[in-house]
Amino acid sequence: MTKPLHYRCLLTFVALFAGLSLTGSLAAQDLENAQLIHPTPDSWPMYHGDYSGRRHVPFTQITPQNVGDLSLAWAFQTNQAAQIKSTPLLVDGILYFTVPDNIWAVDARSGHVIWHYNRVATKGDHIGHRGVAIYKSWIFFTTPDAHLISLNARDGTVRWDKIIADVDKGYWSTMAPLVVKDHVIAGVGGDMDNLPGYLRSFDPDTGAVQWQWDVTPPAGTPDTATGGMTWMTGTYDPDLNLVYWGTGNPTPVLNGKPRPGDNLYTCSIVALNPDTGKLVWGFSLSPHDTHDWDAVETPVLVDGLFHGQPRKMVMQASRNGFFFVLDRTNGKSLLTAAYGPTNWSLGVDKDGHPIPNPGKEPSADGRLIAPDEGGLTNYRAPSFDPATGLFIVDAHPSYSIYFAKPADGTYGWAGADYGLWGKGVIDAIDYQTGKIRWTHEVGEGGSGAGVMTTASGLTITGDSHGNLLALETSSGKTLWHAGMGSPMQSSPISYELDGRQYIVTSSGGVLFAWDLPERRIRNSSSSEQSR
Amino acid sequence: MYAQHCAICHGDQRQGNLPGFPPLLGITHRMTNDKIADLIHSGKGRMPGFPGMQDSELNALLHFLDTAGSSPQMATNGAEHSSLSAAGEALFQQNCAFCHGRDAQGGETGPDLTQSRLVRRDRTGDDIARVIHEGRPDNKMPAFNFSTQEVRSIIAFIHAREAEAVEHPGGRRGVAVADLQTGNVEAGRRYFEGAGGCRQCHSPKGDLAGVASRFEGLELEERMLYPHDAPSRVTVTVPSGETFSGVLAYRDEFTVALRDKNGVYRSWPAKKIHYTVDAPVEAHVELFSKYTDEDIHNLMAYLQTLR
Repeated sequence: MTKPLHYRCLLTFVALFAGLSLTGSLAAQDLENAQLIHPTPDSWPMYHGDYSGRRHVPFTQITPQNVGDLSLAWAFQTNQAAQIKSTPLLVDGILYFTVPDNIWAVDARSGHVIWHYNRVATKGDHIGHRGVAIYKSWIFFTTPDAHLISLNARDGTVRWDKIIADVDKGYWSTMAPLVVKDHVIAGVGGDMDNLPGYLRSFDPDTGAVQWQWDVTPPAGTPDTATGGMTWMTGTYDPDLNLVYWGTGNPTPVLNGKPRPGDNLYTCSIVALNPDTGKLVWGFSLSPHDTHDWDAVETPVLVDGLFHGQPRKMVMQASRNGFFFVLDRTNGKSLLTAAYGPTNWSLGVDKDGHPIPNPGKEPSADGRLIAPDEGGLTNYRAPSFDPATGLFIVDAHPSYSIYFAKPADGTYGWAGADYGLWGKGVIDAIDYQTGKIRWTHEVGEGGSGAGVMTTASGLTITGDSHGNLLALETSSGKTLWHAGMGSPMQSSPISYELDGRQYIVTSSGGVLFAWDLPERRIRNSSSSEQSR
Repeated sequence: MYAQHCAICHGDQRQGNLPGFPPLLGITHRMTNDKIADLIHSGKGRMPGFPGMQDSELNALLHFLDTAGSSPQMATNGAEHSSLSAAGEALFQQNCAFCHGRDAQGGETGPDLTQSRLVRRDRTGDDIARVIHEGRPDNKMPAFNFSTQEVRSIIAFIHAREAEAVEHPGGRRGVAVADLQTGNVEAGRRYFEGAGGCRQCHSPKGDLAGVASRFEGLELEERMLYPHDAPSRVTVTVPSGETFSGVLAYRDEFTVALRDKNGVYRSWPAKKIHYTVDAPVEAHVELFSKYTDEDIHNLMAYLQTLR
């Protein structure tokens, strides 16, 4: 807690250290706040790579001209049936990634395992796992039974084990926590029960709870929703000192009758003070949702011009089919536009909220709804490319039928829905107009993969058949591909080590690292820029 | 002997604790005594070996494992079944409940298994086991790598839930045939003949004759809206000018494949050939943005007259 006093001095120290560490002659350093604010090229120190959530890297070694030579550096087998849905973290040359109940620490240069942690949770949903957080030399890991566990990054030994939520009530956790200053912020999942969602902040040293922010009024408050699960990682603006988080759908899920109104702050982007957990503003993206469209997708932070005026923005391509641009200083709408088939809304109100059509709420005889329950996009991350102004997202145009009748009750799911048809496309959205500048088809039936863009003009993503794709960011044209065996359920990352740029992707239970052959690396000097 | 060495993992009642620790009730039906003795001596996976166990102790333990416990034989089958189902429930909650609901009656994305035709018909569990092991790639159902015993336990749980649902109807989240009777037959017929364009491909006396006898309720409506298994045909012209045609078997950006009339699978690099796909099912996709909900209900009413 002495941090404020030493902060500036620490910044200098870490900067010096980070520069020297490229020589490999120094011992590993702890991951401090300065490096979280300005990640070095040889790191991917948090779920989204940096606090902005743009998943855009400054590297220019792998280019549209040479990507055709990209080849496999190494592959790592988890030997698990669970698919990798996590984003690996890279700190001090070691990659840390997860599937439910498991963490691996793997050498980022060779792909060999350094340690493996396995804790079998006999309770809780094992639907997926998004990855860990790291602060100093400590790892923070959420579990299917909704614990937050701190481990030593050096050897995977457990330091402490705290409870985020009560698994017996129906909560679970899959998310990668977000570290902001001396706060470890963790969220929950669980919409099979009428449970209130919340975010909890833990002390990184002791695991003590610092604050809790509740998404909805307490369960049992008349005419209000529960829900609003916080199952994806938020973003952070250090200058405004605000954390941005997307919240999930209200419960009961498909029956909106017991919960009239907008059901704040479910299906919203909220801005919280990370020191107190107090709400600064909130914006509802799906008022009164009845289709399970969590608004938990990355709230991407972009500074730039909007219609000629400099703005601090937050953008989200939301599961409900709309793309939103908000002024992140005050939560006011700049743009709301559908980016694919949506038939559930009567339009957009003057404040930028879509207006739900009561005629499209689930009914006894069924309602045809676009998109389907998985939504026009889901947890796989989008990327913002500053050079082209494109917001590139894995989209899933789709149709489904939704049912609900009084016999389905008012608890948990409270209805039924069935997907009819869908396909995967990668959409490049012009953030100032909401218009789709290009669409790249990635397969019938399925969806694509998470997206990462590079300063050299590449978009790295995948198709629904299991191909890893390198596209030209300006046009969406395919430049290179490699079959990985099954569709990528995660989002790519990239880093530079020893003068080599690596791209890391996953498929099934395998992690793949890609790089250029030695002869194609023109200049082995490392990028000194931070991102 | 059992209480001292085995119960900590396999449970006081030999009920097991899946996924880590298999139930031992009825183990002698699944393994020979020699095999069990080997396993006890050498261990396997996370099961420790007990090389020091004396023959007399081992025989006593094998004898105990062969007993049915305190209940008479007939009741034991039930007890074994319910402990199996309990073990399956734990696995189901962790791996299946997200999509199929905690009670197997449907949840996020996945159907109500208690009303599944496959579940209801599959008394041996073989068909369910196949779906669990192989998944259903077309329907987003992933494949699971469970052991045979784990699969048995999950199937026991699904069948227990099914029995429960049959015994206590109502209040379930599935869609009943009666729910889908709000449309108007005459309006549906007009839509079929006119605005819907259905007549261009389908005929009530031809391909759709008796369709309502083959399918009903939700299954009929889903097939009406998008017959997901309708084949597409592809004709491929290779550089030599030779052409091949058949059912489209695979297509991504880079590879196109067909299965010809003899069942032979052939694939080509998409860049090296010319190909045309005839996908009549696309007409269903084009209708999605045109239907009103009323059109769908009317069309459903009309189709249900085609018995």
